[in-house]
Amino acid sequence: MNVSMRRVYAIFVKDFKELSKNMYVLTTLLTPLLLAFVFGQAETVSLKIQLMIINITFVSVTAFVQSAIIAEEKEKNTLRGLMMSPASTADILGGKSLLSVILTVGTMILCLLITDFHLINEPMLLLALLISLVFYAGLGTLLGLWTKSLLEASVAIVPVIFILGMGTLFQKLIQPYPLLKFMEYFPNFQLEFLTEAVEREASFGEVLGYFGVITGWTVLVLIVTVTVYRKRSMDE
Amino acid sequence: MESVIAVNSLVKVFSDKTVLDHLQFKVYKGEIFGFLGPSGAGKTVTIKILTGQLSPTDGSAYVFDVPSTEINSPQYLKKLGIMTDNSGLYQRLTIYDNLKLYCELYRVSVKRIGDVLEMVQLQDVQKKNVATLSKGMTQRVILARALLHEPELLFLDEPTAALDPVNSKHIHKGLLELKEKGTTIFLTTHDMNEAESVCDRVAFLDKGKIQLLNKPKRLRQRFSDATMTLELVDGSTVVLENGSENAQKVYEYMLANQIVSIHTNEPTLGDIFVHVTGRELV
Repeated sequence: MNVSMRRVYAIFVKDFKELSKNMYVLTTLLTPLLLAFVFGQAETVSLKIQLMIINITFVSVTAFVQSAIIAEEKEKNTLRGLMMSPASTADILGGKSLLSVILTVGTMILCLLITDFHLINEPMLLLALLISLVFYAGLGTLLGLWTKSLLEASVAIVPVIFILGMGTLFQKLIQPYPLLKFMEYFPNFQLEFLTEAVEREASFGEVLGYFGVITGWTVLVLIVTVTVYRKRSMDE
Repeated sequence: MESVIAVNSLVKVFSDKTVLDHLQFKVYKGEIFGFLGPSGAGKTVTIKILTGQLSPTDGSAYVFDVPSTEINSPQYLKKLGIMTDNSGLYQRLTIYDNLKLYCELYRVSVKRIGDVLEMVQLQDVQKKNVATLSKGMTQRVILARALLHEPELLFLDEPTAALDPVNSKHIHKGLLELKEKGTTIFLTTHDMNEAESVCDRVAFLDKGKIQLLNKPKRLRQRFSDATMTLELVDGSTVVLENGSENAQKVYEYMLANQIVSIHTNEPTLGDIFVHVTGRELV
């Protein structure tokens, strides 16, 4: 698949200019920062809370901004214009993900600094965060493609915030119900298990399973996203 | 003549409704082909099939000798300019920024922006936000965007629908200039004056079928009632059949200095459409 950096950059610049005038979407950036600031007032912030802030950043910044950008393109009939240009699928999806990725990285660094996240320099954790970032960007694109407007995207993100953003907080609630055990295989739970293992100074072999599950989710989401994207280029 | 579009027995069915019923036509390189029909006749569906946004139920459509189902790839899309009902603009950006994005996507110089804005007469408002534009101005920006990369084949779906006569005339002039440069234009419209003034050939589409296809002049001749009307100085009119038997009468009116005007009674394309389909073109 060909990628033209010139086209990716052009789409990024366009999205940046548009988003800078969209206060509704911009204010979502404040959610994780606000949480980090509130919890950061405590003497020590538990790893669980820090991970919740990380997951909320992924959901409300990466996934939501991404879904909002795509859904608005659909709502205003501009996505088809991009699809009918010589830009490849990779150019368009890459360009459209770049802004939410940059915003996520910036927001997350600030949140981690505010909450004094001590594992910030762990290469294994950074790799897991990077894979998660791709997963949430893909998920946001998928939500944007499934919904028809910015308003619908704003509603569609709500269950995602509860399940993937705050789900790990309810771990104790789901433990008595074996039927809900599958939730532990969600990427947010896997990221938490991986982080706890990294804190215990586990070897790479010990965390490989967590990496495998997160990567599996990421690959699945990317395949579904590209498939849905290609279907959306048709009016059938 | 080299054909750019070749449609063979094209059928499109949505649920159980046949929208296109065995369409058959060719569009030749460098011509302006008018696709005329009332709303719901299947004009936009045809454009969407030709640009790969819909697939045919049966039959085939080729664009640049490539099946329309495969035209939706970057190597072919750069040859096409498309303006349809689902062509949108970025509302929070200026006209210039909207066009600049497409310059990058099509890899053309931003200098082209000035050229296309001049054609649609918007060069003085290029820094205006799209959200503040009227419907007609928005339509002109979309047209400008479709022209940016100087496409070989231009699909225009009702390009002047929201424009006033002055701007429509300017767009028509621009389309004729593009034709001079060798651009092939597939134009849908229900404006008969537009079709008459710019199209080399027109096809009448009604109920999913092409009812007529020819040059506008040929159609007018074919459906002419072969009469002429003489308008006389006393305000009366005389209708005479064309032919040598009436030459003497015309001569006598002229000798008596009674004629204000003489014109042949050719039908308009609108009259022909009504004659052929039994309904108005709206």
